[in-house]
Order: sequence, then structure tokens, then C-alpha cells
Amino acid sequence: MVVAAGLEKKFGQFTAVDKISFKVNKGEIFGLLGENGAGKTTTLRMLSTMLKPTSGNAVLNGFDTQNEPEKVRANIGILFGGETGLYDRLTAAENIAYFGELNGMSKAAIRERSQHLAEAFGMQDFMDKRASKLSKGMKQKAAFARSIVHNPEIMLFDEPTSGLDVTASRDVQDFILDCKAEGKTIIFSSHSMSEVEKLCDRIGIIHKGKLVECGSVEELKKKYGNDDLEEIFVRLAGVR
Amino acid sequence: MKLKHVLTVFKKEVKDLIRDRRTIMSSILLPMILIPLLNIVMGGGIQKFEKDINENVSIALSQTSDTPEINGLVTERILAKNGNIVLVDADDPSKALENDEIRCILDFEDGYVQKLKDGKPVTITLQYDESKTKSRTAADIVSSAIDEFESEIVRERLAAKGIDLDIMNPFEIQLQNVAPNQKGNNMMLEMMLPLMISMLVAVGGIPAATDLVAGEKEHNTFEPLLTTMPDRGSLLLGKYFAVTLFSFVSVAAILAGLVFGYLLNPNSLTMGVDSQVYGYEIDPLAAVLALIITIALGMTFSGIQIALSTIAKSYKEAQTYLSFLMLGSMVPAYATMFMQASDLSPVMFTLPILNTIAAFKMILGGNIIYSNLFIALVASVVFVALTLWFAASIFKKEKVLFRS
Ligand SMILES: Nc1ncnc2c1ncn2[C@@H]1O[C@H](COP(=O)(O)OP(=O)(O)OP(=O)(O)O)[C@@H](O)[C@H]1O
Ligand SMILES: [Mg+2]
Repeated sequence: MVVAAGLEKKFGQFTAVDKISFKVNKGEIFGLLGENGAGKTTTLRMLSTMLKPTSGNAVLNGFDTQNEPEKVRANIGILFGGETGLYDRLTAAENIAYFGELNGMSKAAIRERSQHLAEAFGMQDFMDKRASKLSKGMKQKAAFARSIVHNPEIMLFDEPTSGLDVTASRDVQDFILDCKAEGKTIIFSSHSMSEVEKLCDRIGIIHKGKLVECGSVEELKKKYGNDDLEEIFVRLAGVR
Repeated sequence: MKLKHVLTVFKKEVKDLIRDRRTIMSSILLPMILIPLLNIVMGGGIQKFEKDINENVSIALSQTSDTPEINGLVTERILAKNGNIVLVDADDPSKALENDEIRCILDFEDGYVQKLKDGKPVTITLQYDESKTKSRTAADIVSSAIDEFESEIVRERLAAKGIDLDIMNPFEIQLQNVAPNQKGNNMMLEMMLPLMISMLVAVGGIPAATDLVAGEKEHNTFEPLLTTMPDRGSLLLGKYFAVTLFSFVSVAAILAGLVFGYLLNPNSLTMGVDSQVYGYEIDPLAAVLALIITIALGMTFSGIQIALSTIAKSYKEAQTYLSFLMLGSMVPAYATMFMQASDLSPVMFTLPILNTIAAFKMILGGNIIYSNLFIALVASVVFVALTLWFAASIFKKEKVLFRS
């Protein structure tokens, strides 16, 4: 479970995230929807303890981002859009093992888990190839495996499909749904309405740092008397 | 901060760096091969040059002096005793000197035979080219040969008048070397070794430092790394030790290369200037202190390098900052190149780079002042702490880590 309570981030005078509060239950996918510069990445960075909130705090799986950042990090898996962020000179297996080791797993546990993940993602053929030699699709699979090697309770995705073609986006969406099926708590950011509508149980619309609306897709449609999520979004963004 | 995390990061970074062909080339292979090779080639060149300068002193007589008598006189009384001087027949001596065919021209004054008989001074003009090292040296060699010839004539004249030769030598000068016997004395080694070691330690970590932070940011691996369990201090330390290790890898590579070069050709160590390297009695305690000071220098620079690599907005920018650092560290190294152990001032022992150079010069010089070494040690530890603190504070700055 993730609880954000009044999260605020200022960069100098500028307020990037303005006292955001929301709650995401276990096994739920929560979508953060917003335009460029709305504050999605900043919010996710505060949840993952990379940025310190100016005020407010968040509790992930019972651990406070302020007081127990290490435990928070051990409980989250992250997949950021764009580049996969693998180490080119390490093999797929070594990339995965490194993150396992950093997250406190034993050698034996890493071996077992890697084997399982290699099978699950169909990576057996290229586990021992250097990342620089992998195709884009292979890299993506390795990045998936790496993000969940320590079997985190909570997954954070920041525009994971940005810059990907249709099939690759599909793979990412399937991966997110798999994570949900395993009972993980998932937050992902996007500016694609259709993607959010397809995957999310609940969404939060973020605009200029403020959470302007929050609820399930159905609730929002009902509240605004509109079947088109995009229109709702444009209206909310336009009003403020 | 957890040691286990530091170790995990350190091991991964070392593995990663070893697989990087660029790092291996610039940190290990190049220093290992290039420096000894340079020494051998340069050393061989210097030796050859020195030999040539002293041994093949070719001279010619000026057109007016090119007579059979003068030829005979020069051959019998000067060349006979100086095998390294050869008389060359030149049609146009000035041209020959210009073209490096000969090194000087001898010109005897008109009517020299009569003057010599009368005991009057004869002017011998020695033409040479000041701009050419070989010609300049040849002029010295030929003038001393003529000096000898002159003394001979003086002796003959005195003997003819029945005067004791001792009247010519009121003093007898004896040079006595009082330097301790065992003390080695090799300028080249005392000049080059401290310079090379401290320079390399200071710059050896640069490729690693560039790669480990700026490189990670560039390849988008940094943010995922920051979201793993270890705190930033552990991540930083793991990287810091990897950079420190690599700053010594180059030194080890160079030393290995030097030893290898020495085994192949003993002259390579000193560029052939003074081929003997012996008599160095190294004080073990001082050597250990110098080693610690050197390690501290490596750590100090790793700290600065990591900090600069973190501050940089891109890989390119990191490379630029770090090459400035490299230039900066060359200044004190070269400025003190010609200093000898006896010229060292205590202030030098308080400054990074300078203190390492000074420590090595002192040890090679053999006259060890422990208080200075301890000053250097304390100063080094202070610098390590300061730079590590600096790197850590940069590494924890949100503004620097997440520039968007
Ligand atoms: N380190 C930083 N320093 C200063 N301003 C920042 C920093 N990081 C983000 N911002 C600003 O905060 C605002 C929110 O940025 P953020 O990256 O969270 O937006 P986003 O919703 O993820 O946008 P995008 O869709 O473009 O990724 C932007 O105006 C951005 O310029
Ligand atoms: Mg973003």
C-alpha cells in the first residue's frame, strides 16, 4: 500500500508538486495522468526517496520515506521510460544480479530468481550476453527482470511506454498487468489517456503540480457526465 | 552506510571498468609500454648524440692555411694525441661548416713559422657555429687540444733555457668527493621518478571517475541505481574506492614497465644519461610513509574527480573539467622537477602533489627528515578528509543529481 500525504516539492520559488495526497491499495494500479511538466516524475521521485519532499510525506508498505528510506527503496521496483538504463558492459544476468545484490539478496536467492525470470521472460538465450549486444526488445526484457529481481511489493513506472513502438508498448502493458496479478501495488505515470483507461483501477489527474481529480475511471466519467476521458482531462486542465 | 553495499558497488565498478577497452588502454597498456619505450628511444638517442659529439670531431683548415706545412703540423702535433679529431679536406670550408660536413675551421695567422721561431704569439682562429651544439662542443675540444699543444711548446722552450718545469705549477688542485659512499646519485632518476609517480596518481583515476558518475548519468543508469536500497554514501564510497584503485593501476603499470624496460636495457631507466642506478639505500620506514602519502594523494584526487564528474552536466563536460584538473596537477609537478633533496622547503610538505614529490625526492636523496614526512602525512590525511567530504556533499545534492 502507498499513502502520499500532502507531498510538496519546491525547486527554489517554483512549486513542482503542490501538496498531493492519494492512496493506492495493494493489487491496485494507480495512474498519474498529466501533461509535460505537470509534476509526475517529481512525485515518483519523492515516493522513491530520490528527492526529499519540501513538506508532507509518503508511506510505502508501512515504511516512511523520511525515516526509513532504505526500507522504502528495498520495497520498490522502478521502470523509467526512454532508455532501459542497463550497464552496457555487463551481461543481462550480471545487470539483474547487481540489483539483486544491492537490494540485499543472497547469491543463492539471486541465482534462483534469475533462472525463474529468464524463463518467465524467455531470456535464456541471451542472459550471458553483454547488454550492448542486445536488441531493443531483449534489453527491455532484461530491464523488466531487473526491476523485479528482489520481488518488490510496490512498482513505480514513469512513462514506461514513451518512445516505444506498438508491440513494445504492449509488452510493457502486459508486464504491468502481470505485476498486478502478483498482487503488487502499482503507480504509473502517463500522458496517454487510452493507456491509463486500459490499465488503471484508479487515476489521479495532475496539473501544474496539483492533484485536480482522483477516482476510478467510472467515477470520473459519471461525475463529469462524459464518456471521453480525454475531454474530462482537457476540461480540468483548462479550468485551472 | 553498509560495508557490504560499498563492496558490492566497488566490485561491480571494477569489473565494469576492466571491461572497458578505453580505460584499459589509457590506464594500463599505454603507460606500461609508452614510458619505457620513450625512455629507451630517447635514452638511445641521447647516448648516440653524446658519443657522436665527442668522437667524430671533424675539422678543416681555412683556405689560406691549407698548406702542406700546416697540414703536417696539425696532424703531427695535435691529431696524433687526440684520436677523436679528424682533419678533413674541404674545398670550401665555410660551406662545409654550414652543411655540417665539418664542425670547425682552423686558421693560422700569416707568417706563423717565423713568429713561432721568434717566440712571438701566433694567433690561431677557430671558426665555429654557436647555434650548433656539435660545432660548439667541437670548438671546446679543439681548443683544449691546442692548449695541450701550447703547453708542450712552453715546456720545450723552458727546457731549452734550462728552467725547471715546476715553476709553471705553483698550485696542485686535488678534488675530493666527500659525499657518503653508499649514496646514489642519479639526477635523472631523482628528477623523473617522483614526478611521474605523483602525476600518475593524480591523473590515473580520471577515466574511471568520468565513467562512474557522468557516464552513468549519460547512460541513464544512475537513477535506477539510486533507487536501490543502499544509501548514497555507500554508492559514493564504492565508486570512490574503484577510482582510487585505478589511480594506482597506472602507477603500477608504469613501474612494471620501467622494471621491464630496465631488464631489457638498463639505460632505459635513466634515459641513458647516467646508466648506473646503484647505491640507493632506501630507509624502510620512510618508504612506508611515502607510500601512505602517495595513497592519500590518490584518494584526495579521487574525491575531487568524483565531485567534478558529479557536477558535470554531461560526459563531455566531465572530460573538460577533468582535463583542467590534469593540467593543474602538472604545474606543481613540473615546477619542482629540477629541485633536489637539499632544496626542499617544509612548506612543500603541506601541499598535495608537492608533498608526494618532496617525500620521494627526500628518500632518493637519502637525507631523511622525519618531521617533514610526518607533516606531509598529516596534511595528506586532512586533504583526503576534505575532498571526500566535498564529494559526499556534492553527491547528496538534489540539484546536482537531478538536472532536468
Ligand atoms: N531538479 C529540478 N530542478 C528544477 N526544476 C525541476 C527539477 N525537476 C523538475 N523540475 C520542474 O518541475 C516541473 C515538474 O517536472 P516533472 O519532471 O515532475 O514533470 P513531468 O510531469 O514528469 O513531465 P514530463 O511529462 O515532461 O516528464 C517542471 O516544470 C520541471 O521543469
Ligand atoms: Mg516525467
